[in-house]
Amino acid sequence: MQQLIFGLANGSIYALMALAIGMVSSTTGIVNFAHASVVMMGAMVSWWMMVICGLSYLPALFVAIAVSIVLNIVMYETCVKKLGDLQNNVGWIITLFGASIILDNIARMMFGTEPQAFPYLFGGKMVTVFGANIMLHELMMITIAVVIGVVYQTIIKRTRFGRAVRAVAFRPSTSELMGIKSEKIILSCFAMAGAVAAVGGALIAPITFASYTMTYSIGLKGFAAAVLGGFGNTKGAFIGGFILGLIEAFICIFVPAGIKDSISFVIMIIVIIFLPEGIMSAKFFNKNLSAAEKV
Amino acid sequence: MPSFLTRTCPPRKKYSLWLIILKFALLCFCLAFPLMAGNYYLRFATILFIYVIVAIGYDISAGYCGLLTLSAAAIFGAGAYASAITVTTLKMPFLAGLLAAMVVTGLISFLISLPAYKVKGNYLALISLGILEIVQRILNDWTSLTHGAAGFFLPAWSIFGLNLSNNARYYVIFFFLILIMLFEWGLIKSHWGRDFIAVKNDEIAASGVGINNRKYKVIALLISSVIIGIAGSLYASYSEFISPDTFGFYLTIFILLTVIIGGTGTLSGPAIGVTIVMIVPEFFNASPDLKQIVFGGLLIVLTQVMPGGIAGRLKERFRAIEDNRHIEDLGDRPPVSFEKYRVNADGPEYILEVKNLTRRFGGLTAVGNLDLKVKRGTVHSLIGPNGAGKTTTVNLITGIDKPSEGSVIFNGEDITGMEPYDSVKRGIARTYQHVRLFKDLRVIDNVAMGGRIYYTYSMAGAIFHSRKKRKEEKEAYLEAYDCLKLIGLESKSNFDPGSLSTGQQKLVEIARALCEKPKLMVLDEPCAGLNETEIAELSEIIKKIRDVGITVLMIEHHMSIVMGISDYITVIDYGKKIAEGTTAEVSVDPVVRKAYLGEEVAAC
Repeated sequence: MQQLIFGLANGSIYALMALAIGMVSSTTGIVNFAHASVVMMGAMVSWWMMVICGLSYLPALFVAIAVSIVLNIVMYETCVKKLGDLQNNVGWIITLFGASIILDNIARMMFGTEPQAFPYLFGGKMVTVFGANIMLHELMMITIAVVIGVVYQTIIKRTRFGRAVRAVAFRPSTSELMGIKSEKIILSCFAMAGAVAAVGGALIAPITFASYTMTYSIGLKGFAAAVLGGFGNTKGAFIGGFILGLIEAFICIFVPAGIKDSISFVIMIIVIIFLPEGIMSAKFFNKNLSAAEKV
Repeated sequence: MPSFLTRTCPPRKKYSLWLIILKFALLCFCLAFPLMAGNYYLRFATILFIYVIVAIGYDISAGYCGLLTLSAAAIFGAGAYASAITVTTLKMPFLAGLLAAMVVTGLISFLISLPAYKVKGNYLALISLGILEIVQRILNDWTSLTHGAAGFFLPAWSIFGLNLSNNARYYVIFFFLILIMLFEWGLIKSHWGRDFIAVKNDEIAASGVGINNRKYKVIALLISSVIIGIAGSLYASYSEFISPDTFGFYLTIFILLTVIIGGTGTLSGPAIGVTIVMIVPEFFNASPDLKQIVFGGLLIVLTQVMPGGIAGRLKERFRAIEDNRHIEDLGDRPPVSFEKYRVNADGPEYILEVKNLTRRFGGLTAVGNLDLKVKRGTVHSLIGPNGAGKTTTVNLITGIDKPSEGSVIFNGEDITGMEPYDSVKRGIARTYQHVRLFKDLRVIDNVAMGGRIYYTYSMAGAIFHSRKKRKEEKEAYLEAYDCLKLIGLESKSNFDPGSLSTGQQKLVEIARALCEKPKLMVLDEPCAGLNETEIAELSEIIKKIRDVGITVLMIEHHMSIVMGISDYITVIDYGKKIAEGTTAEVSVDPVVRKAYLGEEVAAC
């Protein structure tokens, strides 16, 4: 039981990261390689607000969300927008890695290299469920992640904005003809991804401690989760995150701890090789893609 | 005979003397360097050479072949550790360690390239990132083999039992650098280098000229990894101490940056880039954080401002000065005519037979039960309204797409579902609806790519500039020049394809197809985007192509050219054949008139 909750809690963070990566990639087709750094910045800013400026949890979180949104928007404006056609151009991989390095090192200069203790939600209170000691914080992580996921799906499926997002995801230039400002939609997706990043950062920070390297391996696992669910498929990415968390929690029964972290990458590589569209494509939904369009 | 033609870098011609002097001076400087430098600078220069080797290796896959991987540091580390373990734990000589490094890195490259044939850039980046992380874990956690995070000590470097002094080490590594550079030079200046660029620019067109994309990607990654592995082995032996930290994410970024600054896909780029990235920070006493921030900033800015890097910028600058005169100086080439491409009329009467061809996209049947017979030596037009399935039919014939049912028989041979790079060898050449030229190659290189299926020289021949290579390269380029002459664009041979008009680009595509010496030429909307004069020119060219026995299968919307030059016409609509016959028959067919002009309405 403890393992299960632990796995789900970790999975919720991967799911949040994968969701944010999916938001960006659904509309632009790119993978935000700087996402982990934005998560880290979100965590560091909220830590700073709480410990240095003495704000309480929620205001600090809101500041962090605002900062992350701004970061993501700036990132889009500087790193992605000017590259033009993103499908036939891998320049964004390079620029986004550049952005990630800049963020990491700014964090290192501003906040130092020491990992900082980050307060738990509810002061780290434990509850006993089915004879297992579970931290309330972990339960909250899962709840918040699920709520965010459900809210996002509702927005995408039910609202006018959501329809616009789906239209842009399908074909940006046609959407423009239909009166949707593609760029605005993309920008708001980046902004939403930033907000989700900050929440994820604040939730994971008590477990990993807040430091500039806190998301280095978690970030990669976020990508693994996104791959598992399929890029641009936000629902799949979300599920992928939880699956990955669970696999990780239970696999450590079989393999030594040092290797544990590699497992998710091995899974990612296997998924890319055999199911490049993610597990959600396993039912062969889109098998007959038109080749005529390619030529 | 003109030897310039095999050179892809025109500035060499004009400034060759200065370039030779510059190279010689650089060589002398590097050779004399240990005599004047202290220990610190000697070490600095040696490490610089090692990183130049890494950058060269990385540039072959990332720069030339467009496979942006992020695992360079992991491969470098794997090479270093493989060599270190062989030398220290197994007590083997240095050369065995070098070999072990090459084998291990080669295996890793296969791991990366496994999915390379079906996934795009971002997945490759992710896979390589995963491999970077896995290698880090192995180096850190498999302590019995790698001594873990504490690091690994090697014995003093000796080759053939000879202990090397600092100066000797410098020269050994310099020797390896020159070897690698010569290797790269030979490889890139052969059809291999151009093939890599073709794969990067346009996979479909690359496949259309006979390149097996997957094979070339695997080869590019393999070569690049082995070179980086050699560098890793040299690094381990030279520094006598390695630890996992060295081979982390930041080294990958460093290597990426050097290639970006120097210029991706250029020969001199990696060396320039490494020199700049290593030397410039020496002048500033900056903290590592600030240095990294500047690196990150450079990655963002340079990618957008100077995509070609320094070497690319220099090349552009020289090319602007360069004129075409030396190609016009060709002199005594005999006049060419289309006769050269005459095809013998042996074999079945119908060169292409399509039976019951069907292609479904999900619920949509794009082509349904289509039968088509193309008579040898004719111009056969495929017409129909937009979305009728014409391009899909052609894609099925040339192998870009696979039919759901039915068969394609070409020249008596069943080629159903054959890959384009195989069918081109049987004699099917094609052009594309939207121009697909290789934008990083000159016009003449593009045309010469059409003749690449006739190269026979091996990779070893390419590297050692064998006589066979020189002969074949020269012939291929003269051939390409002839093809350009036939379409009247020989004066543009040194231009970038992007600088030509759409009509000229379409003609270059036809020249490229002609250079494949095809039996059947498939033209997909050759007149789209052309003006009336160009259309008239084009129809003359198509007629000449037909007259030498090459069968032409053409998709076209311009009725003037269709009616003017076609011998047979097949009309399709909604993926079904609605009429077929000679031009005269089809033009009066009521069904066709209905499909094109709509229902006849009784006057009221």
